[in-house]
Amino acid sequence: MSESKNEKNMQKNTNPWFEAWRRLLKSKIGVAGLGIIIFLILVALLAPVLAPHDPFKQNILARYKAPSSEHLLGTDEMGRDILSRIIYGSRISIQVGLVSVGFALIFGVSFGLLAGFYGGKLDMLIMRFMDIMLAFPSILLAIGIVAILGPQLKNAMLAIGIINVPRFARIVRSSVLSIKESEYISAARALGAGDFRIIFKHLLPNAMAPLIVQTTLSIATAILEAAALSFLGLGAQPPSPEWGAMLSDARSSLQRAPWVATFPGLAIIFGVLGFNLLGDGLRDALDPKMKNV
Amino acid sequence: MRKITLTTFIILAVIMSMFVTGVMAQEQGGTLVFGRGGDTVGLDPIQVTDGESFKVTQQIYDTLVDYTPGTTEVEPALATDWEVSEAGLTWTFHLREGVEFHDGNPFNAEAVKWNFDRWRLEDHPYHIGGEFTYYSYMFQGFPGIIQEVNVVDEYTVEFVLSEKQAPFLNNLAMVPFGIASPEAVKKYGEDYFKNPVGTGAFVLEEWRQGDRVILKANENYWRERAYLDEIVFRSIPDNSARFMELQSGSIDMMDGVSPEDVEAIEESDTLKLSLRPSMNVGYFAMNFKFEPFDDVRVRRAFNHAIDKQAIIDAFYAGLAEPAKNPMPPSIWGYNDEIEPYEYNPEKAKELLAEAGYEDGFEFDLWYLPVPRPYIPQGKFIGQAIQSYLSEIGVTANLVTYDWSTYLDKTDHQEAPTYMLGWTGDNGDPDNFLYVLLDKDNSNNAYESDELHEVLVEAQKTMDQDKRVELYMEAQEIIHQDAPWVPLVHSTPPIALKSMVENYIPNPTGTEKLHRVWLSE
Repeated sequence: MSESKNEKNMQKNTNPWFEAWRRLLKSKIGVAGLGIIIFLILVALLAPVLAPHDPFKQNILARYKAPSSEHLLGTDEMGRDILSRIIYGSRISIQVGLVSVGFALIFGVSFGLLAGFYGGKLDMLIMRFMDIMLAFPSILLAIGIVAILGPQLKNAMLAIGIINVPRFARIVRSSVLSIKESEYISAARALGAGDFRIIFKHLLPNAMAPLIVQTTLSIATAILEAAALSFLGLGAQPPSPEWGAMLSDARSSLQRAPWVATFPGLAIIFGVLGFNLLGDGLRDALDPKMKNV
Repeated sequence: MRKITLTTFIILAVIMSMFVTGVMAQEQGGTLVFGRGGDTVGLDPIQVTDGESFKVTQQIYDTLVDYTPGTTEVEPALATDWEVSEAGLTWTFHLREGVEFHDGNPFNAEAVKWNFDRWRLEDHPYHIGGEFTYYSYMFQGFPGIIQEVNVVDEYTVEFVLSEKQAPFLNNLAMVPFGIASPEAVKKYGEDYFKNPVGTGAFVLEEWRQGDRVILKANENYWRERAYLDEIVFRSIPDNSARFMELQSGSIDMMDGVSPEDVEAIEESDTLKLSLRPSMNVGYFAMNFKFEPFDDVRVRRAFNHAIDKQAIIDAFYAGLAEPAKNPMPPSIWGYNDEIEPYEYNPEKAKELLAEAGYEDGFEFDLWYLPVPRPYIPQGKFIGQAIQSYLSEIGVTANLVTYDWSTYLDKTDHQEAPTYMLGWTGDNGDPDNFLYVLLDKDNSNNAYESDELHEVLVEAQKTMDQDKRVELYMEAQEIIHQDAPWVPLVHSTPPIALKSMVENYIPNPTGTEKLHRVWLSE
């Protein structure tokens, strides 16, 4: 029995997730990214408390007011408080990131697992379809999808989800391919494990590390893509305080009231930077070659 | 006595010197680069309906009669004078002699007849290349009310109408009815829209589609040759990008100025502002096909809910006036007796409650996707309207489409509520009231038989006083029915470099540029 206890201890110390977490906390980049994201999430959750004004309250006779103690970041083209709008906008950006990447994750992983595990004709069919999707510039594909579905935020999220599917499918498929023939899979099969058990118990966990990195980085690009679509008028519709839409409306006053464009722009940079830093940190932390460094 | 003489002399000298410098300064030559929001659609004026096309075709073609610059008064152009018969059905035009088309063919009565026959007769071999929209618009279909066009002699042409049309002369002065060279239309056929040949002050040099149209002065123009040697119309869709080009000097003038930039132009030493006489309306329409807009109380409530003056102060740099009628006060027959629905949210709420909507309702509000002279910032004004309506408890969802889809869908009455506008073509009330609100034409399913009768009667009445009376009555009917919230009549600003002289904007939205000159 002492042997088993020993084994348990060893397991605890070498739990790869715990190990990765420890390494993440050691990396400055990762911590900075994590900090920004936690900050963003807090801002989004506490928006009603933090925002000094109603983000939709217009005062068209007080347009383009420069930053002041009343409006810390000034007012926009409709006389709305920019700070309050950016605060509420963080909800939209986080929602876009999670929903669209969540969509891509579910479909991408499913396609990748099916293609990698079953191979043959199914693999061929799925992966060629993914190749076709990857052949389009992603933003163009997203514009096409939104143009068909109609310009709305939920359609933009769907479009961004769709264009991200192939990346997840590829990652999962390649990691499935690399281990599907390994001995422990054969052993599991010999012990009578079914496809379902093998896929979810053995194959998927092995793909987790690259998936987590890809998810984090994809959230960053999803936020950027949503902002781009909204900038083009294809995403969030007025009066939504989506950051890209705010930027687009500020264009006409770039010379006269530069703050109207500057602050939403900074907000986008900040949000995207947070997820990118965390993604880089995670990549280092989850890299098996970095073990025990 | 001597003192007076001296003073008179000095005054005279000053006046003379002003006159002399004024004349001396008019310089021949130079290129004018005109920045605008979109490219020309086509250069066959009868086939197009948009201002960006007319802006160019007006330089290439002349019409039988023309508007005096800056007004909608009719003056001679290709026709030197005209008579109308007692009954008002036969119009005789005496044409200018010695005028040549750009291709060297002579302009005469035959050419006029050939053009009108091409436009009005559907079995004419050259009734091709488009839908001849403006012809059917103004003359009621094909062949429409122009029954016959007869060549009396080489320079006399006669029109026989099937019924009286009071604004006939004003209609003929419209840009779409520019006279084209019959030989050129025959030569190019379907491609004529790329190879325009008229009698105008400028000749097409090159059209790079999507980018620019280049015109050269017509050395053989029947009026005085243009001062400019060349005009370049450049398309720069984004208002602020276009304004930056003007500031940096790569274009000489632009229309579609954002109201935000007006102040900067006024303060600038190198730029100046020109204001187009107001002859337009920007409106917010409610579609009778969609509940609850079939209820006049709801429509009136909306009229009470929107603060037009605040919108003008915010989004027009004050260059507009609140509208109470569908047609602007610059047009004769404007009914100033009408008491506007004043801005009063409380009253609006009462009306909604009366109609059974005290808890409000939700609907789609379509906002303009592109800047137009009457509504320069559709997205912002749409949001302002949305916000005003939310104050009376109704929820508007903002929706838009790209410009051609937007026009097409509103034309097919698919929009529950929408923003749109109109710039007058010919200065006649018919061109607003009949075209926009008659039951045969309205885009919002407003179908009033009462209004239709008045408008049709006004078309057939030649007596001016009687027409004024009828149009006054029409505006009263429209006011009571409240099919729209008339928003504004704007004065569209145009920005020019200070060196661009003698530019006189027309109320119709486009003008001839042959008298424009550059002072440097």
